[in-house]
Amino acid sequence: MRLYQMVVKDITRRKKRVLYASVGVVIGVATIVAVLTIALAGETSINSQLEKYGANLMVMPAISNIDVGLGGLSLGTLAVGENRIPEDKLPEIREITDGLIREARGIKAEGNIATIAPKLYVNAEINGTSVVVAGVDPQEEHKLKTWWRVSKGRYLQTPDEALVGATVAELLKFNVGDRIALNGREITIAGILEETGSNEDYQVFVPIETVQEAFDKEGLVSSIDIRALCSACPTTEIASAINGKIPGVRAVAVKQIAETEMGMLEKINRFLLALAGITLAVGCFGVVNTMMTSVHERIKDIGIMKAVGASRNQIVKIFLYEAIIIGVAGGFLGYVAGTLLAYIVGPLIFGGVAVSYVPQYFLPSLVLATFVAIIATVYPAFRASKIKVADSFRSL
Amino acid sequence: MLEIKNISKIYGKEIAKVVALNNVSLRVNEGDFIAIMGPSGSGKSTLLNIIGGLEYPSSGEVILDGKRIDNLDEKDFVDIRRRKIAYVFQQYHLFPSLTALENVMLPLTFCGTEKGEEKALETLKEVGLEGRAEHKPSQLSGGEQQRVAIARALVNSPSLLLADEPTGNMDQKMGREILGLFYRLNKDGRSIVMVTHNPEIAGHAKEIIVLQDGQIADKISQKGGRQ
Repeated sequence: MRLYQMVVKDITRRKKRVLYASVGVVIGVATIVAVLTIALAGETSINSQLEKYGANLMVMPAISNIDVGLGGLSLGTLAVGENRIPEDKLPEIREITDGLIREARGIKAEGNIATIAPKLYVNAEINGTSVVVAGVDPQEEHKLKTWWRVSKGRYLQTPDEALVGATVAELLKFNVGDRIALNGREITIAGILEETGSNEDYQVFVPIETVQEAFDKEGLVSSIDIRALCSACPTTEIASAINGKIPGVRAVAVKQIAETEMGMLEKINRFLLALAGITLAVGCFGVVNTMMTSVHERIKDIGIMKAVGASRNQIVKIFLYEAIIIGVAGGFLGYVAGTLLAYIVGPLIFGGVAVSYVPQYFLPSLVLATFVAIIATVYPAFRASKIKVADSFRSL
Repeated sequence: MLEIKNISKIYGKEIAKVVALNNVSLRVNEGDFIAIMGPSGSGKSTLLNIIGGLEYPSSGEVILDGKRIDNLDEKDFVDIRRRKIAYVFQQYHLFPSLTALENVMLPLTFCGTEKGEEKALETLKEVGLEGRAEHKPSQLSGGEQQRVAIARALVNSPSLLLADEPTGNMDQKMGREILGLFYRLNKDGRSIVMVTHNPEIAGHAKEIIVLQDGQIADKISQKGGRQ
C-alpha cells in the first residue's frame, strides 16, 4: 500500500467530510464557470445579431441616388445611377482593408481576410413589372448574408441563374425553374429565398457579370459591401483610408449598435469575473479554514501516524493528496453547479438566450480548483507536520 | 540496549513549573520486561514517551544501542520509530476508516514498503487475528482492536515495545489475553516496557519500577518474571 493509496482509501470512506471541505472551492469555481458560460452565451447571441447587420462598411459612388420601388410601391432609395464605381478599384479596396485588419489583429497570413461583395443594381422590367435586379458576386454575397436561407431550389451556381426574394416570387408567382428575360437575356430561377424582412425580399439576385453584360455596364458596380469578420476590426480607419486613397468613392463605416452592446457585455463580464475572483478567494479562505479545522480535528491522528513512523514530509504529503482529491471533487462539482446556475440565471440576464454548457471549461475547472485547494492546504499541512507526538496525545 | 541517565522533565516555567521527572535513570536490556507503576501524575507516561522519543527530556541522556538519541532532531528520530521502538497505546489509536490489515500495513507504508500485505497478514496471524483482516476497528472488540494495534507495532520487527496501559480499557478476561500476548512476545526475545496500574500485571514483569512524584521510589527485580 502506498501513501496515496492509503489517503484515497481513507478519504473514500469519509466522503461527507471531503464534500464539506470542498464547499469553498465548489462555490468559487461554480461562480466563475457560471459567469463565463453566461458570458459566452450572451456573446454568441450578440455575435449572431452582429452577423445580421451584414456589412461593417459600405463603399458607394461619391454621388448618386435612385428611388427603389416594386411596381407602384416605393421602397426608399439605393445608391445607383450613372455614377458607378469602376470594378478595377476592387483589388485596391481589398488591399487597404486586409492590410489594416492584419495590422490591427497582428495577423501575418496571406490571402483574403475581409468579405468584399460588389453589387450592381439595375431596374428591370420582368413580366411587365419593374423589379430591382441586384448583380452580386455569388460567393462573397453568400459569406456576407449569413442569414439567407433558400426556401425552394438552390443557391446561385451558374451565370445564367437568378435567386428571387420572397415577396417578388409571391407577387410575380415565380417558381424554381421558371425562365425570365433580363433585358433580352434569358435566365433561369434557381432558388427562392426565405423571407428576411428587409428590402432583399423585393429583389432578384443574379451573378454580377450577367447583369453587367445584359445591361451594358461591363466593369461597373453600384456599391461594395465590406464585412470584416471581427467585432474589433478598425472599420472607421478602413473607411477613412479608402476615402483618402481612392477618388470618386465614399466609404462609410456602419455604426453598429451590436458593437456597443458587445462593449457593454465586456464590461459586465469584467465586473462579474472580478466578483467570481473574489468569491474564489473567499472560497480559498474557506478551504484554508476547513483544512485548519481538519488539522485540528486530526491532531491525534497525526500524532499516531508519527508514532508509527510517518515523517514530516509524509504528513505534508497526506494533506496535499487530500487537497488534490478535494480540488478534483470541488472542480467537478463546481463545474456542474456553475453550468446549472448558468442555465437558470443566463436567460434572466440576456432575455431568453440559449445557454449551453461549455465542455472546454471542464478541465480548467479541475485545474483551478486543485490549484486553489493545494494553495489553501500548504500552510495547514505545514502546521500539521510540526505537531509533536506527545502534545497530540495530551490534547485528547 | 537502552539506557536513560539522569533524566528530568519540566513542564511550564516559574510559578507554573511542574516537575514531571526528576533525575531518573533506567536500563532496559535485551529481553527485559519492565513494568512502570505509580499513581496518576507520577510521571509514568512521560518516562515512556521519553524512552520512545515522543518527547524530549529537559536534561539527561537517552542512549539507544550505544548512541545518544535525546538530542536527535525529529527527522533522525523517524528512523528509530520505524525500525527500533514501537508503541502500543491504551486507546489502541487505530484509524477507523482503515481495515485491520490496512492499519497493520501503515508502518510499512510509511517506510516505503509497497507490498506489505503479506508481512502484515503474517503479523496479524501472530496476534491471532488472521480471520479479521478485512474488518474495520468498529467491527472488532476492544481486545481485538488492541491486538491489531500490537500487530501494527510488531510489523516492522522493533527490538523494543513500549506499552502505555495496554489493558486499561478492558475487562479482566480480555486484559489477560492481551497480557498473554505480551508475555509470549517477550519470550520470543522482544524487550517490553509497560506502564500499568495493575499490580497483578506488574507482578509478572521481570522488573518493576515504582515512580512517585517524578522519581524512582522503588525498583523490584523479579527473577525471570512470570515463568
